[in-house]
Amino acid sequence: MKKMLATLTGIALVVSSAIVMASESSDTIKDPAEEWQHLWTEVLVDLYILGGIFGALAIYWLFKYRAKDPDAVGDGPNLSRAQVWAWAIVPCVLFLADDLYLGASGWSAWNVYRNVPENAMEVKVTGSMWNWEFEYEDGTTSTYDVDGDEGEKGDGLVVPVGTPVALRMTSTDVIHSFGLTKYRVKEDLMPGRVTYIWFYPKEEAKSWVTCTEFCGASHARMYAPVKAIPQAKFENWLAKRAKEEAEE
Amino acid sequence: MSAESEKFNLSEWIFTTDHKRIGVMYLIGSIAAFGVAGIMAILIRIEQSSLGPTLADDALTAGQQYNEWLYFHGAAMILAFLIPGLTGFAANYFLPLMIGAADVAFPRINALSVWLFWCGIIVALLGFVIPDTPDIMWTGYPPYSILTGGNTAFYVFTVHLLGFASILGAVNFLVTVIYMRAPGMGWNQLNMFVWSTVTAFVIQLVFVPVLAAAVTMLLFDKYLGTHFFDPSAGGDVLLYQNLFWFYSHPAVYVILLPALGILYEVVATFSKNKIFNYKAGVYGGMWGVVLISGEVWVHHLYISGMPNWIRVGMMISTLLISLPVGLLAISLFGTLYKGAITFELPMKYAISCLFLFLIGGLTGIPLAITALDLHLSETSFIHAHFHYIMGIFATFSVFAAVYYWFPKMTGRMFNEKLGTIGFWLNFIGVNVTFLPLFKIGIDGMPRRYWNYEMFPQFETWHFVAMIGALLVAAGMLLTVSNWIISAFNGEPASDNPWKSKSLEWTHTVSPPGPGNFLKPVEVETDWTPYDYRK
Amino acid sequence: MSQSTSAEHAHHWEVSWAPLVATFGALFLIPFAFSAYYVYEDTFLTVIFAGIGTPLMLAGIAKWVSEGITEKPLLEGVSPSGLPYFIVSEVFIFLGFFVSYWVIRLSAGNAWPPEGTPEINMFMPVIMTVILVASSITYHVAEEKYDHDDLEGFRKWLIISIGLGAIFLGCTIYEYGHLLHLGFGPSTNAYSTIFYTITGFHASHVVIGLGMFIAILIPALSGKTNKYFVFCAGVYWHFVDVIWFFVASQVYFW
Ligand code: HEA
Ligand code: HEA
Ligand code: CUA
Ligand SMILES: [Cu+2]
Repeated sequence: MKKMLATLTGIALVVSSAIVMASESSDTIKDPAEEWQHLWTEVLVDLYILGGIFGALAIYWLFKYRAKDPDAVGDGPNLSRAQVWAWAIVPCVLFLADDLYLGASGWSAWNVYRNVPENAMEVKVTGSMWNWEFEYEDGTTSTYDVDGDEGEKGDGLVVPVGTPVALRMTSTDVIHSFGLTKYRVKEDLMPGRVTYIWFYPKEEAKSWVTCTEFCGASHARMYAPVKAIPQAKFENWLAKRAKEEAEE
Repeated sequence: MSAESEKFNLSEWIFTTDHKRIGVMYLIGSIAAFGVAGIMAILIRIEQSSLGPTLADDALTAGQQYNEWLYFHGAAMILAFLIPGLTGFAANYFLPLMIGAADVAFPRINALSVWLFWCGIIVALLGFVIPDTPDIMWTGYPPYSILTGGNTAFYVFTVHLLGFASILGAVNFLVTVIYMRAPGMGWNQLNMFVWSTVTAFVIQLVFVPVLAAAVTMLLFDKYLGTHFFDPSAGGDVLLYQNLFWFYSHPAVYVILLPALGILYEVVATFSKNKIFNYKAGVYGGMWGVVLISGEVWVHHLYISGMPNWIRVGMMISTLLISLPVGLLAISLFGTLYKGAITFELPMKYAISCLFLFLIGGLTGIPLAITALDLHLSETSFIHAHFHYIMGIFATFSVFAAVYYWFPKMTGRMFNEKLGTIGFWLNFIGVNVTFLPLFKIGIDGMPRRYWNYEMFPQFETWHFVAMIGALLVAAGMLLTVSNWIISAFNGEPASDNPWKSKSLEWTHTVSPPGPGNFLKPVEVETDWTPYDYRK
Repeated sequence: MSQSTSAEHAHHWEVSWAPLVATFGALFLIPFAFSAYYVYEDTFLTVIFAGIGTPLMLAGIAKWVSEGITEKPLLEGVSPSGLPYFIVSEVFIFLGFFVSYWVIRLSAGNAWPPEGTPEINMFMPVIMTVILVASSITYHVAEEKYDHDDLEGFRKWLIISIGLGAIFLGCTIYEYGHLLHLGFGPSTNAYSTIFYTITGFHASHVVIGLGMFIAILIPALSGKTNKYFVFCAGVYWHFVDVIWFFVASQVYFW
């Protein structure tokens, strides 16, 4: 009975937050996955340019300065004092500028990663050898059993489309890590501490959370599905889960 | 060619205190470690070539044995192959020759160091014999390493033995370079390799002890019941990771610097050219790396839940590493400029290293950016990054070193044809192995996963990578057997077949006898190891 | 400042079995014996390993010392220049432990010392400090005597230093016994973890220092010494002394 009540209030909360959400345009929220993609492209271009310059020069010189006869010797320049300094300072300034540019872009993306939107739905995540447990705001839990029979494995993490999800995570034994490839987030779970990440499921999708910190023999089988489903379906699912749990 | 007449005398070898023979023993040990760890790598690749268990019947066995292989592979490759290969073998054999010294400052401590290294290898290999093989990965993070049924003590002792060997080496070589340079040899006349070794040993001297402290605490926590890393009794879970990476990040520069030092020597010799902007390379590049190396370790803990400010702070300091490394890149690439380049086998390795260095180094940049790393961390993108810079670039530099100095060490020539086939197999093989790992890493393939049934789309790439690894195995086998066969049966080589200007080539025979030089070496004030124009 | 050394050196391969034998002794004595005892809990095996390791190690050290005294080194008098580098690395290993201590201590806040810590007698560390400082002074006197070619006086003061060092170790053993009796063992809490690790690690350095003293004393009894060895042992001993100030002030009095 108590659990039912909790479930109801939980649903009410989720619904009201969804309404608030819907009233403010949803794309004002910057989400980690988007930031990541954006930054990645930027960095990649940068690296291709740097690597291209060095690589092309090397190839060109290797071709151009092949020894013409076996006794030939090189004719590298004798640098004057000023040239020695110039060849150190000018590249450093250029590299520094590039680093600071990358660092600044990285920092703003980082802020998106660490600032959870106000209206996020919170889920508690507990990792243990070798299992994930998800607990919703109303106390309902969900897990996933990789060795279970088809249809009885459990649902893993189910979230509503359109609501940012914040995970508060801890571990009961060793260090695990919550790696959510699709949403480009990852953070460790430790005994005795609580860590957090958040992500933003914008459309219906099924993906996987994999444990990404080494945790023993079944580390490679510590995974669970992450399903983003429409708000209404999610509410049904949560109510159903709550009922199942009350019966257990 | 003095060795021709000498008879092989076993006790003169195993009790030797001569730096050259100690260098050779370092080489044999590290190549043995490389061979065994390489076989583990092949098993790993075969296991990963299909979705489920490939080399075992059930998932639990597959997981357990995979972890044991991967533990040995990572730990042995870094601690028992590369670091001793570069700072043990190469430094031991060539540094005293390059500075015109008869031996190192403390020959007996040098012998102590090589035997500690061998004991480290023995302990690591015994891991396969004991019933509870270590399975904690080379990083050994607690609480897992404390809770596991595996033998964490062997991991700790391997680290202790190899670490202590390294500290003794550091003391020895720093003193040697400071006090035993040939008369007239100033600091700006040292070979680049000598500088790179000096800076690598400065790092070892300061940071290895911290690792030793960290693993000692691990040992006490597991076997004496202390609580350093146990949060329920007031310990700190992240303490170990911080101490570990406080050493193990600088350790990558212990690898990078001597590897670059070798390339400087090879590139200068085969371009018959002087080093471009020597001073910027040494004082800006190498010492710059030393200076920054200790302030960046948290980039391995980006996903560990460290406080926000330190994650951002160390993103900046990590990015700044590209300044000194960039200076090194400029002086290394610049050495080709206006050279007279020939393409013998050591140079083939060196040239391939230039590109591998760019790929491996530049892919460190996205990892350094915290937000990008929150996705890339613990994926096979990391594998691709460090195999390129370490598993290929630095490993190839060891191969370049062995080939380059082969005539010096043995008085014989290697088989160029066999070596070249080996080179191409290696070069093509590693790229086929590790390029796919970038791709599937970005798509989310997790690290240390023998199983990826949730991502069946990666199977093709894993299979391709296995083919690559088999090519590498063939290449490596060819390479190592070439060394062994040529060491005994190669064509006799002249004392300076590459026409280098460096002391180890110009002032002594191949291989050098006891005391290294027939008469004491003295150098002019305007001598450098790279003045080909004279 | 460079020096040539190649010319005068012999043209045969230098050998010494001391390093090899000492290393394998250490292998049996530490990794193997420790694993036998703590990992496999096999006392018999432990005794065997220690029984193999100890004589090997002692033989290696003895041989090494005698060679160090009788043979002319490649570069005369370079060991005092090498020792500081080794001490740098020693400093960093102690720093590793101290930093761990600070991290654990500072994150505990006011809950320090944690539950289960008995009253630790503050008189003991004071006495131990006095003893260790005294031994540094007596060794200094010994060195003075040595410099004035007074071998007799050198031996006397060296023996006194060894005695003081042994008393220091005795104090440690007494204190450990007392605390263990009160139920304060390495696994009691975070403070006991630190306490035993840091004091124990320091004590192991005292043991090494005493070992060096004894290695100097034995040949000195028959009149053989090496002045650089005497000097280095002193520097090391003073270093161990200085470290003790940190141990005492941080672990006992903070
Ligand atoms: C030899 C070994 C070696 C070397 C040299 C490096 C070099 C670098 N590494 Fe790498 N790294 C490893 C070995 C190495 N690494 C290993 C083994 C791991 C994994 C450990 C584990 O978890 O098991 C790892 C992991 C690792 C991580 C952690 C990822 C994670 O686990 O989440 C990071 C993050 O910052 C990183 C970054 C870097 C950077 C920035 C450099 C830089 O030093 C690179 C600098 C080089 C260049 C930048 C290219 C040349 C420069 C120029 C052309 C100048 C211009 C460039 C710019 C202005 C950008 N590395
Ligand atoms: C120097 C470092 C180095 C080198 C050279 C290599 C070389 C190779 N590595 Fe290694 N690797 C690491 C360091 C290195 N690796 C580290 C640190 C890790 C991380 C571990 C961790 O996660 O904790 C890792 C992890 C790692 C993985 C990740 C597995 C996972 O996380 O799930 C994979 C998978 O493909 C891999 C593959 C390979 C392959 C195919 C090679 C090949 O290039 C190997 C080729 C060599 C051989 C095939 C041997 C050749 C045979 C002889 C020479 C015969 C002679 C022998 C005798 C005479 C005895 N490595
Ligand atoms: Cu849990 Cu890996
Ligand atoms: Cu690093």
